[in-house]
Amino acid sequence: MNTVADFLNNSYRAHPDNIAIIDDNSKLSYSELNQEVNNFSSFLNKFPKNSVISLFFDNSCEFVISYLGTINSGCIAHLIPTGISQKNLMEQISSARPKLVLSSENHFPKIAKIESKDIEKLRFSEVKKTSYKDRKPQPSDYAYLIYTSGTTSLPKGVPITHSNCAFTTGNIVRTLHYSRDDIDVLPLPLSHSFGLGCLHTSLYVGSTLIIHKTTEIPQILDSIKNYNASTLAAVPSTLSKIVSNDSNDSSNTLSRLRLIITNTTFFPPETIHKLKKILKKGKVATYYGLTEASRSTFMIFDNDNKIESVGKPSDEISLKLISNNEESTTGEIWIKGNNVIEKYWDEEHTKENIDNKWLKTGDLGRIDNDGYLYILGRVDDLINISGEKVYPQEIERVVKVLSGIDDVVAIPMKHKVFGEVVKLFIKKTIESDISKTEILTHCIKHLERFKVPAKIEFVEDFPRTDYGKIKRFMLK
Amino acid sequence: MTLDDDVKKIFLETFPALPESDFQWTKTQNDYENWDSFAQLNLITLTEAKFEITFSDDEITSISSAKNLLDCIKSHI
Repeated sequence: MNTVADFLNNSYRAHPDNIAIIDDNSKLSYSELNQEVNNFSSFLNKFPKNSVISLFFDNSCEFVISYLGTINSGCIAHLIPTGISQKNLMEQISSARPKLVLSSENHFPKIAKIESKDIEKLRFSEVKKTSYKDRKPQPSDYAYLIYTSGTTSLPKGVPITHSNCAFTTGNIVRTLHYSRDDIDVLPLPLSHSFGLGCLHTSLYVGSTLIIHKTTEIPQILDSIKNYNASTLAAVPSTLSKIVSNDSNDSSNTLSRLRLIITNTTFFPPETIHKLKKILKKGKVATYYGLTEASRSTFMIFDNDNKIESVGKPSDEISLKLISNNEESTTGEIWIKGNNVIEKYWDEEHTKENIDNKWLKTGDLGRIDNDGYLYILGRVDDLINISGEKVYPQEIERVVKVLSGIDDVVAIPMKHKVFGEVVKLFIKKTIESDISKTEILTHCIKHLERFKVPAKIEFVEDFPRTDYGKIKRFMLK
Repeated sequence: MTLDDDVKKIFLETFPALPESDFQWTKTQNDYENWDSFAQLNLITLTEAKFEITFSDDEITSISSAKNLLDCIKSHI
């Protein structure tokens, strides 16, 4: 299978009656999905091949039809997160230059504000079937375009080829043993690389994907229970919330799963331990990747060793750590492989971030003697205290174990004597009455002296990207 | 808890290896094995957070014993 269009086509031919997608209101078999996708594709025949079609949807069957229909017509799907601000939406549209912006009914008011004669704006319900012309994409064509979240700078357009998708999806399927018998629960946005990769995986093997619009825990557990699901893909915070509810009912429900997969974001070891205990026979896994280099490593937590690692590089993916222009065991993570983009949407970002097919991730990592990778933070986020390099994540992890802490960010603060010291921003949980002195005392006990924060500020919330990630650079 | 108790507690938390029986109000920075510039920073940060006060640079450099610290706090509250 060389393109995303092949994923659907193959599964439709192999088992047309299998249920492909279930959302809050409807379900589609592979046969029905294939028909809907072809109908949608016929509408896009009026646009030249490789035109950009911007899609603005919550997780829904409409989204999946629009996405696959766009790809099936040889066009590029520009995926917009629904939480996007109007300003960022305008910036993405201006950069992506789509021929059509399509949305669900509820999001149409936002796209209606786009002022351009050259851009058509439609609701999903306004898409009309015409005669379908076969215009399948090639492996080297772009399948989709996502703007990275911009946690450290302005968003970058990341175009992903069908070849990238085919390689990554094959990799996921082999490593995590997905099959057509799986029933996959997905409380992740399909407009994000993690969620979209799960859609590709289900289509690739012909399994059933249950998509959720939100991360409400009762609904997730209901889906697992009612559909007898076998896998769950969720971010660590969702998983931590699930296991913090110690009821037997939720444990029994989770114990049916054969796999829980999460992503790079810090995965608290206590959550991993609890999940492993609940799953009994099932596996807990994580991965490291970026939109630009999806699923570069995998870590399956088979035992209690290396529980803070994100694993080893996947097959045919090379990874090296660069420090002071030389390979090292600690440094910036560079990745090369068929999962890595050839270029960014804008040429300036390509020059800056891609060097002879190596993607410079901007992430800091460490590799141990057995080849396992550990994520230490971002290159730009390092705190330099009297020449000592401090990774904010190390401090954040120490603070996060305290009860009453919802989220925490450590940043550098200028200091007359030490150059920089640590400043903490902390969002407390609603009922929390934890004090700054309690946090500092805890830090003094668990951190080296120079890493202990010199200032703590409580905040209501953090500035966030359209995907909900914290914008650290705005706190500095 | 009295102010004295609070300050003593801050000292014992900043220097966890210090046995309570060894705490003395007049013992100076040089008498502590690990009262370095970072420990000083920890001491100040913890005190400022506890009493919701901010020390001036001069005050920070003048604090070299538990008694100094107590006097500085008293001048702020």
